[in-house]
This record gives sequence, C-alpha cells and structure tokens, in this order.
Amino acid sequence: MNAALVLARKEGGELLLGARGLAWLLAASGALSVFGLLLVSNSELSLLDNAQVVYDMAATITALGALLAVIVGSDAIAGERERGTLVPLLLTPLSRGGILAGKLGGQALTWAVIYVLALPYLWAVGSTGQNLAASMVALAVLGTPVVLGFGFFAMALSARLGMARSSLLSALICLMVSASPLLLGPGLRQSAIGKAFDTVNPFSAAVNAYDAIIIDSQTIGAQAASLIVVFIWFGLTLCFARRSFRGIVR
Amino acid sequence: MLFPALLSIALGLTAAVAAASPLKIELSPAPGNPAAPRMGDRLAFHSVITNTGQQPIDGVIAWVGLLKVDPGHEQPVDLEDWSAQKAVTQSTLPPGGTIEVDWPLRLIEDGHYRLVASAVSRSGEIATSPLADFSVQRKPVVESSRVLPVAFGVPLLLLALLLHRSGLSSIFRRATRA
Repeated sequence: MNAALVLARKEGGELLLGARGLAWLLAASGALSVFGLLLVSNSELSLLDNAQVVYDMAATITALGALLAVIVGSDAIAGERERGTLVPLLLTPLSRGGILAGKLGGQALTWAVIYVLALPYLWAVGSTGQNLAASMVALAVLGTPVVLGFGFFAMALSARLGMARSSLLSALICLMVSASPLLLGPGLRQSAIGKAFDTVNPFSAAVNAYDAIIIDSQTIGAQAASLIVVFIWFGLTLCFARRSFRGIVR
Repeated sequence: MLFPALLSIALGLTAAVAAASPLKIELSPAPGNPAAPRMGDRLAFHSVITNTGQQPIDGVIAWVGLLKVDPGHEQPVDLEDWSAQKAVTQSTLPPGGTIEVDWPLRLIEDGHYRLVASAVSRSGEIATSPLADFSVQRKPVVESSRVLPVAFGVPLLLLALLLHRSGLSSIFRRATRA
C-alpha cells in the first residue's frame, strides 16, 4: 500500500478508531444534537422556515468541521514535535511530500466522517425535503474546500510556529474572524468594509452560496463566484502548507 | 357545533351586561397585517376603550382572549407564546376619556381564530369588543418526530461505540456475570 495512504489511515485512525479519538466525535454529535433540540424546543426557532433551518444547520456543520480541522491541523506538525515524534517521522523512508500527503489525507478523512455524521441531522431538520439533497451536495462541494483549507492553514502555522498552542490560537482567531458572518446580521455586512470582507472571505462565500442554493433554490452551477473564492482559498492554503512543511528542520 | 352555540350565548349575555355599562371597547386589525398570515407571522390589533358615562371609571383592566374555532378543536388559546402583552391597566378613566391599546400577536399554530378584547372596571362594569376573526396558514417547520430520534440516537450510538472501544462493555459483562 502507498506509504502516504498508510500515514493518512494512521492519522485518521487515531481520531476515529481509538476510544479517546471517538470522544471528539461524540462531542461533535452532541453539539449538533443540542442545535437540533433548540430548534424544536424554542417556539421562536421552531417557527423558522424549513429551508432557513437547513441553511443554519449546513452553516453550523461547516463551522464545526472547520473548528475540528483547525485543531487537528495545529497538532499535525507542532504536536508531533512536542511529543518528540516528528524527527522519527522525518527519518522514515517516506518523502516530505508523502508525509504531507498523509497528514492532509488524515484531515480529509476526519472531515469525511463529520460530513457523514451530519447527514442525519440535515435530514432531521429538513422535514419538507425542500432542497435537502441540494444542501447535502452544497455542503460537500463548498464546505469541503473551506473546511480543509482551514485545516491546511492551521497545519502550515503549526509547521512555521513549532508550538501547537500558539498555532492553535492563531488559527482559531483567523477562523473566528472568517466565520463572523454567522454571528453578524446582514445589516452590518452591508457597509463597504463588510462587502469587501464578504468578497474575499471563503466562509462568507460558502454560506452565501448555501443561502442561494437552500433558501433561494438556485443551482450550484450559478454559484461560480463563491466556488472560485472557496477553491482559491483551498489552493492557497494547500500551497502554504506545502511550503511551510518543506521548511521544517529536524 | 356546540362550541359556537355556547360562544354565541355567552357573548349575547355579555352584550346584555355591556349594554348597561358605560365602558365601550372597539377592536380592529392593524392596517399592516398580512392578508394571508402564516405561522410565525406577527399580527397586531388595535382597541379603543371609551368611558361613555358621566362618571369616572376607576381601576380599568383590559385584556384579550383568543379562541380557536376549528371544528373539533374548539378551545381557548393560552397566550403564553402568542402575545407579549397580557393585560393593560389604568387607574382612572375620566368621562369621555379613551385608552388606546395595541395587541401584538405572534402566530404560533395554524387554524381559524377569534380574538376578543375585554375591559372591566373595579366596580364590575364590563365591556366586550366585537370579534375579530382571522386564519393562520400552516407553514412547514421543524418536526420534533424527526429531530428527537436523531438528536438522541446518534450520540447514544457513538457512546455505545465508545464504551465498546474502551473496553467498558467487557468490564460490564464480567460484572454482570459475576
């Protein structure tokens, strides 16, 4: 089997198969369950339009996925260094590119599991079925590059800063700023600065596209501008991670 | 069929009492109300309470009541979630004086409804407004029958897997065997 694939399986397996690793999956499902329960127990929230609820759930899943990707990415290099396992890893016959591919594969596997975990929740809140399948496709097409991009970004910071805590804090702050459209009302985003931020922010691009697809029933093909932003983000963070990983010294 | 009949009798009796009362109350929908309201929309009703008598009226309390009138589901509605405004009071209403009150409603459930505003004084005079009918259309919202099984089932499934992985299940089996 390809060595990078073996490393990706190991990275993902630590998170998914071990008892300790499963705890985060339980926490993630707990967060989605709490959101679901809030929707049915709060009379204000329970009267939201069904499409609006599906949109909210898709945005929440993206934010949760990005948060977990940042945590996993921050640990990828700096965590290995702090545990003293980075040098043995670099001394293996695997090339730098192979190690990086394995780390990135582990990130992708983690997101894939969160995505699968989130599907029942999307189904549960999308009781009418209105744009439910489209929301699942949108989450895969637009959410994946955004989430993995944050993971790659955190991994690059982890390689450059060398300290897991420092890279985690830096990446979390960036994620909070990027995910601010979830918290800010549309009014605050109508200013020139807000619009400019929305234009370049991959998280905004993803949630705006979710809005258009799930609430306004537009097609994914009509979201070219958003797709370009999220894939540019994905490409840039991937390059950043590669460059940062190449610069690692033993 | 029984409920509308009882309602008519009750309103008839109230009207008879109100005929002698110097308190008058009018109720009308706000002009900005949606033509076909749906669950989650907001409606407002405007009422004017007037003292038509020659004497001041003390301790006026006004409130609204909401009745669901769908056949087979006739019942008064608990306004806990429907209205933020429970009652309005005024210590004294002078002769010819009026109190204007707006009653906002958040539409929680679909169906046909009748809203009535009432006012009572400390000495027992009572007035009841004409009925304001409205219908609320159903809107697809989150269904608890779908959310609850997933919200509880998925974490429980993962917890069982976690316990299985951590070996607690085998410990539990050994303990139950012993």
